[in-house]
Amino acid sequence: MRSVRGKLLLLTVVILSVAGCATGEEWNTWYTHRTHFASYDHLGFSVRNTEGGTPRVTRQDIALARDEGWWGKPITVSQEQILER
Amino acid sequence: MRGSLHVAAALALVFMTSAAVVAAPQGDRVLPAEQYTTDKGRRLGATHARALHDLNAVLYHCWPWVETQRASIGFYRPKNATQDDRYLSVRIFIEQDASPIFSRLPFEQRAAAMFSRYVGPLLRRMTVSPAVAADPNLDGFTTILEWTKQAAPAGGRPIHETIAVFVDKATAIEYLSGRIDIKALATRARVLGFDGETALGAITLGPTYDDNFVSTYKVANYQLEQGVTCQ
Repeated sequence: MRSVRGKLLLLTVVILSVAGCATGEEWNTWYTHRTHFASYDHLGFSVRNTEGGTPRVTRQDIALARDEGWWGKPITVSQEQILER
Repeated sequence: MRGSLHVAAALALVFMTSAAVVAAPQGDRVLPAEQYTTDKGRRLGATHARALHDLNAVLYHCWPWVETQRASIGFYRPKNATQDDRYLSVRIFIEQDASPIFSRLPFEQRAAAMFSRYVGPLLRRMTVSPAVAADPNLDGFTTILEWTKQAAPAGGRPIHETIAVFVDKATAIEYLSGRIDIKALATRARVLGFDGETALGAITLGPTYDDNFVSTYKVANYQLEQGVTCQ
């Protein structure tokens, strides 16, 4: 009985340790493709551009999109938790 | 149909409004000099106000994928500092696509990736004005980086992950002059982690590396305002 408990404990530790860590392969994939993960494609600015025209995104478009609250008010640390005036 | 009309009306309003908006960063991103709580802070804020607003403008125009909030830029004191240490501080939110690979990394490695990508370039832009780094009242630099956690929203609200990186002035100058590399910078920096509003305490970053993303990445079809140049 004691031996079974020990094996279960060992198995749990192994599963948790594997689940909690990225493999070397995942880290390598992130590292080699890291520039991929900052695309603005999801913002859908294409609606601003007319067919056949030169597509363009201005800083205003981005600021207005954010002001419209497309992403919602986030849960995040307040400045006061980190810095003092 | 009714929903479509609402969407069309909202889009029309957005684009009509955009024509009237001046494409300039909001000045409230910089903490006004009178809002510091000590003379040292007020003096720094007043002396280098122009440099802070220039930094705000650079981030606004040249790094359009990041966002600053009100009072994100200033000469703040790290919380719980035992004396009136003043660090030039910048807080940015980084917009990036969801990535299963990134989300599977442990927090320390996500933090290291963000550190590698942004801390060096921010330090360079924070010291564009030689007078800032030369000011004897300046004690260091703080860069606060936050990004969306790839997890289910809580109550419909996205959760952000944040790191606050504190670098003393001597270390920053050594890094900027090329005498130490990004790994040494990471080792000597103090890094605090946050999961949403929850403090994770001081963290040890995963492997850091030189990342040229900021100098090479371009938002597709992004058009700079007239008269603005980015280096």
